[in-house]
Amino acid sequence: MQFTKHGLLAGLAFGALMAASPAYAQVTLKVWSIDGVDRPGIADTFSKEFDDANDDIVVEYRAIPFDEIVNETLRAFATGNAPDIVSFDNPDFALFSSRGAMLDITDRVANSEIIGKADYFEGPLNSVTWDGKLFGLPKYTDTIGIFYNKDMFEAAGLTEPPTTWDQVAEYAEKLTDPANNVYGVTFSARAGEEGTFQFLPIIQMSGGNADKVNTEGAARVLDIWKSLIDNGYASRDVLSLGQWDSTGVFNSGNAAMAISGPWEIDRMVEDAQFDWGVALLPTIEEGGERSSALGGFNWGIMANTQHPDEAFRLLEFFVDQEDRIFPEFGNLPARGDIELPITGEAKKDDALKVFQEMLQYAQPRGPHPEWQRISKAIYDAEQQALTGQMPAMDALNQAQATIDTIFNQ
Amino acid sequence: MSRISNWLRDGVGFDILLVGAALLFLVALAGAPLVYNVLMSFQQVDMFTLGSLIRPFVGFDNYIAVVRQPEFWLVTRNTLVFVFGSMTGQFVLGFALALFFAQNFPGASTIRGLFLVSWVMPGLVVGAIWSWILAGDFGVLNVILKSLGIIQSNIFWKSDPNFSIWAVIIANIWLGLAFNMLLLSVGLAAIPRDLYEAAELDGANAFQRFWTITLPMMRSTIGAVLSLGLIGTLQQFDLFPALTEGGPANTSNVAGFWSWQLSFQLYDFAKGATVSVMMFLLVLFASVIYVRSTRHEVRG
Repeated sequence: MQFTKHGLLAGLAFGALMAASPAYAQVTLKVWSIDGVDRPGIADTFSKEFDDANDDIVVEYRAIPFDEIVNETLRAFATGNAPDIVSFDNPDFALFSSRGAMLDITDRVANSEIIGKADYFEGPLNSVTWDGKLFGLPKYTDTIGIFYNKDMFEAAGLTEPPTTWDQVAEYAEKLTDPANNVYGVTFSARAGEEGTFQFLPIIQMSGGNADKVNTEGAARVLDIWKSLIDNGYASRDVLSLGQWDSTGVFNSGNAAMAISGPWEIDRMVEDAQFDWGVALLPTIEEGGERSSALGGFNWGIMANTQHPDEAFRLLEFFVDQEDRIFPEFGNLPARGDIELPITGEAKKDDALKVFQEMLQYAQPRGPHPEWQRISKAIYDAEQQALTGQMPAMDALNQAQATIDTIFNQ
Repeated sequence: MSRISNWLRDGVGFDILLVGAALLFLVALAGAPLVYNVLMSFQQVDMFTLGSLIRPFVGFDNYIAVVRQPEFWLVTRNTLVFVFGSMTGQFVLGFALALFFAQNFPGASTIRGLFLVSWVMPGLVVGAIWSWILAGDFGVLNVILKSLGIIQSNIFWKSDPNFSIWAVIIANIWLGLAFNMLLLSVGLAAIPRDLYEAAELDGANAFQRFWTITLPMMRSTIGAVLSLGLIGTLQQFDLFPALTEGGPANTSNVAGFWSWQLSFQLYDFAKGATVSVMMFLLVLFASVIYVRSTRHEVRG
């Protein structure tokens, strides 16, 4: 008995000692993102730097593959083991912010000396906003345009890149060369988010959006794309190729034009044995409404964090380092106040200028908590039309019916 | 006290103890998730109620909603085509190979062993390899078919709605072939040789020997192979993300992949669970056949 008492006392004293020495108290922050899975990225690099520079905060970084991060976070949140800071692809963000899983940082951002809300582009900012409140910050952004092989254009007697989809079809016919395995154009109409990523801008150009997809203009462009495939001006495999593989076809000289984004530039500089350029995503009519896809990831602090102040400090650190994300990782900042340095690689610098212009027209997917279901309705319709299972308008009408049930729930 | 320990050590109690341990595992690892899954198919589930058991009860709403999905009948049809296409291919080719390697020729058993390579390979790897073989523009299969003069222009196996499900079936047949062959080889080896000798003396030809001896003697093995094949085919998942992702426009989507898509891509867990319950009924049917065919084996 005596022994237990002493032990208890000792324990109490020890506990008191611990409580009285806050200088040694460390806060642990968990950060999850897809960076660092295959090569160093923003989140892993900056997390480590912050961890090294701050003795009072330990940052535990975990890299999670792209396909798993939403599921992993869902599970962790449901069981109370969620990270403090997490990074999602922008259309996935509303799934969490709309359900109170992300911390409202509106006031913190307003009071921050480092973060300026006004610096951000509108599209990326919309994707972290829900119900008028700010639940996160854009991490980086990207968009799509049309790459074209200048050598092939010259050989076909073409000087300028296409500006409308009709022109894309017209040029693709001239550029296609079956004898040399050259397709006129390549894009991605895959059964997945990439399909929606490339097709939603068309819907937006025609006056629609995620809640209104059955527009005349969208049906017309689908018919043009279908004719490209049926005539052999584009490979039928655009229906299963992702953007990275599709652009690989362009890089190897087997397609004269490619719809893709700035993440391709570095590889293209290395792989492409020809002169190339980028132009803005073609419109439906000459001088018609512009739009483009908005890609990129967001940061957010999860609502159940034990250390919101420290987590926000880390977030401020991430934002403070954003002038480094382009030179070091090739990601475009989602802000207008960061001047991109000249790389000296002419093709790369020209391409970046185009993409920065394109970003002004980029529109987010959603935000909607059930984005994935909307997205599936859109890429299913696109594929049904392109494979000829349904006329374009019927496919879009069917998608609209599905989307209506999601919006009217 | 000692009576109980005696009962436990060498009485009926020992049997119950052993059976109980196995049963406990089965209930914990298979039974509980199954019940949970069935329960979920009758509830309204979203991401934030994933961790709890008590959720709003919605009756058959999820079932009705699943059947009303525009892709439901297409997926059902694809599932049937996929299951019967794969099983037929695996079984017929597997049986043919098993019969072939049952002949006595030098290296027969070594080559048969090599076939297992395909069975050892993970589905995702097999999917990636077939994805290259079946590629439209630069795929090996198209080059071979073209040089043989069978086709004039490239077949876009993965992107053409008429072929997409067959692309996955071809890969799946290759993947399951070795397993079928192996099980059937074991069955063949178990048939007593003297039966064939007697039949030969009676003047039965090869076809008659196959039809009246091999097939009847293999009844239980065939039953087991087919029902395991059905279960394995319905379970097949890896090939889909690697080859077609169910596309284009769901023309190669099957129940298993659809269920995963609903749950883990669209986060509609209730519908995902509903589809898997529907599949479970089908597998249950196969299991009954399997159990019956193996019971026959024990008695025989």
